[in-house]
Amino acid sequence: MVPDLGGARAAILHRPHPTVQALTRQLGAIGLSAEAHWPDLPPSALGADYTFFDADMGHDAQFPWAPGAAPMPTVALIGSEAPGRIEWALGMEAGAQLLKPVGDNGVYSALLIARASWEARRALAAEIESLRSRLAERQTVIRAVAMLAVHGGDEDAAYAALRQRAMAWRVTIEEAAARVLAGGEGRHGRRRTS
Amino acid sequence: MLPVEIGLLFSCSGSYRLIAEACRTGALRGIADANADPSLHIELVPVERDPGGEADAYAPLCEDILANSGARHIVGCVTSWSRKEVIPALERLGGFLWYPCPYEGFESSSQVVYAHACPNQHLVPLLRWAMARHGRRGFLTGSNYIWGWEVNRVARDLIGEAGGQVLGERYLPIGDTDVARMVEEIRATGPDFVLNNLIGASSYKFMRALSCLAEADARFAPDRCPVLSCNLTECEIPALGDAAEGLVSTGPYFRDGAGRFGSSFEAAAYASVRSLAARLAHAGEVLDLDGLLSVPDRGELSIDPVTHHTTLPVLIAQVEDGAFRVRERWDAVTADPYLARRDRLAPRSQLRAVPR
Repeated sequence: MVPDLGGARAAILHRPHPTVQALTRQLGAIGLSAEAHWPDLPPSALGADYTFFDADMGHDAQFPWAPGAAPMPTVALIGSEAPGRIEWALGMEAGAQLLKPVGDNGVYSALLIARASWEARRALAAEIESLRSRLAERQTVIRAVAMLAVHGGDEDAAYAALRQRAMAWRVTIEEAAARVLAGGEGRHGRRRTS
Repeated sequence: MLPVEIGLLFSCSGSYRLIAEACRTGALRGIADANADPSLHIELVPVERDPGGEADAYAPLCEDILANSGARHIVGCVTSWSRKEVIPALERLGGFLWYPCPYEGFESSSQVVYAHACPNQHLVPLLRWAMARHGRRGFLTGSNYIWGWEVNRVARDLIGEAGGQVLGERYLPIGDTDVARMVEEIRATGPDFVLNNLIGASSYKFMRALSCLAEADARFAPDRCPVLSCNLTECEIPALGDAAEGLVSTGPYFRDGAGRFGSSFEAAAYASVRSLAARLAHAGEVLDLDGLLSVPDRGELSIDPVTHHTTLPVLIAQVEDGAFRVRERWDAVTADPYLARRDRLAPRSQLRAVPR
């Protein structure tokens, strides 16, 4: 689906240069407003919907976010195709690129591609986060079952006991397991957090 | 008198000859009127090249005009394919194109003035108008190149947003007249409207076949299932004959009685030349396009300096007894070539539900 671009804001991190004018013109024709900054992106740029940054003279300290943690889609403006500069732009996780000199074309497709790759990356990160937390919870469940099993009975009985607690407390198995561990229901009475 | 050469790049033969001839007529008329205007002190001298409808001939002929004459401005091109072919040549040799035809949008070249409509000035109002009256189930057709693909893509989005349904989408190569399968699919699916983005001979054959279908089956008569077009005008009515009856088209101009021009193509090419002539005469020196666009043109064309697109009226017209009759009109619609500013067609919010 094509994103809504009308009225969107773009931040440009580039020294004053015809490239900035060409970029601003294309953005204006598409319907975005643009603000150019140099040498640093101010915190206000955090509110922009897209950021274009110079890959030739750029460095990490210019950004109000950590490398790879841009809160919006980003586009690298590449003049020198030196591998070190490309590597740095990759480290900033540019979602798209525009080769300098910027002329009449390329900005619209860069916006769409940067948006799509940023959203894909964000979705992937969210999925990894949820898988990680489920993995962590599984360890919590195993540890809780092991702790309860120490009181007597086998693992099946301990698991059934954990399920009964979850039902009684009206929480998920994972949360019940966390409470069991945190509440020190085990033999040693240790307070533990997962 | 300041003699100024001006390029004309239209195909006087080939599949879309009728449109090209309408554009050329408008441009030549604009040149004649500008030259006859004693207040302008300018003499436009046309430098003509004819690509004969061959897409690959446009760029070399555009280069030929720019390299072998004094012309910097060219009025020309009909298809988007040919326009995209000449832009690199314009960039390289410092030329400018005044493009007098509707197109699919998503372009804003610093070398081009877009003098006719883009989708928010043709397709969007046309679909809004038609879906409110006829229903939201459409069948999309087109010639197999960017105009048909992109206009139909936008149509798909708009129909989807409105809660409608695309019953089919079919393409033919430019010049291909084998329309039987398309028509058969339309008969089988029974849409509320047919969007015709075919061009030239394919379009004429398709319209005649649909007209036969309508005679055989009243479900496909124009009052039940109209054909919609963003580019059919008076200049192609002779090729359509009776098959044009009931056709709903959109554009910035329809003659509707005593209009000055034969079609919107002629009007746009004429306005392009008059606007250019007025600006050149006012500037009195060689300027690049942005410089020229900043000088007045006596109100010939309202060109947005940011997008290079023109603010235009939007008309919806229907063919009745062989002539377009205007059904609806909006004055001065600003071009939004990237469809970035349009209101979303929320399902049923801006559209009246049509009971079926």
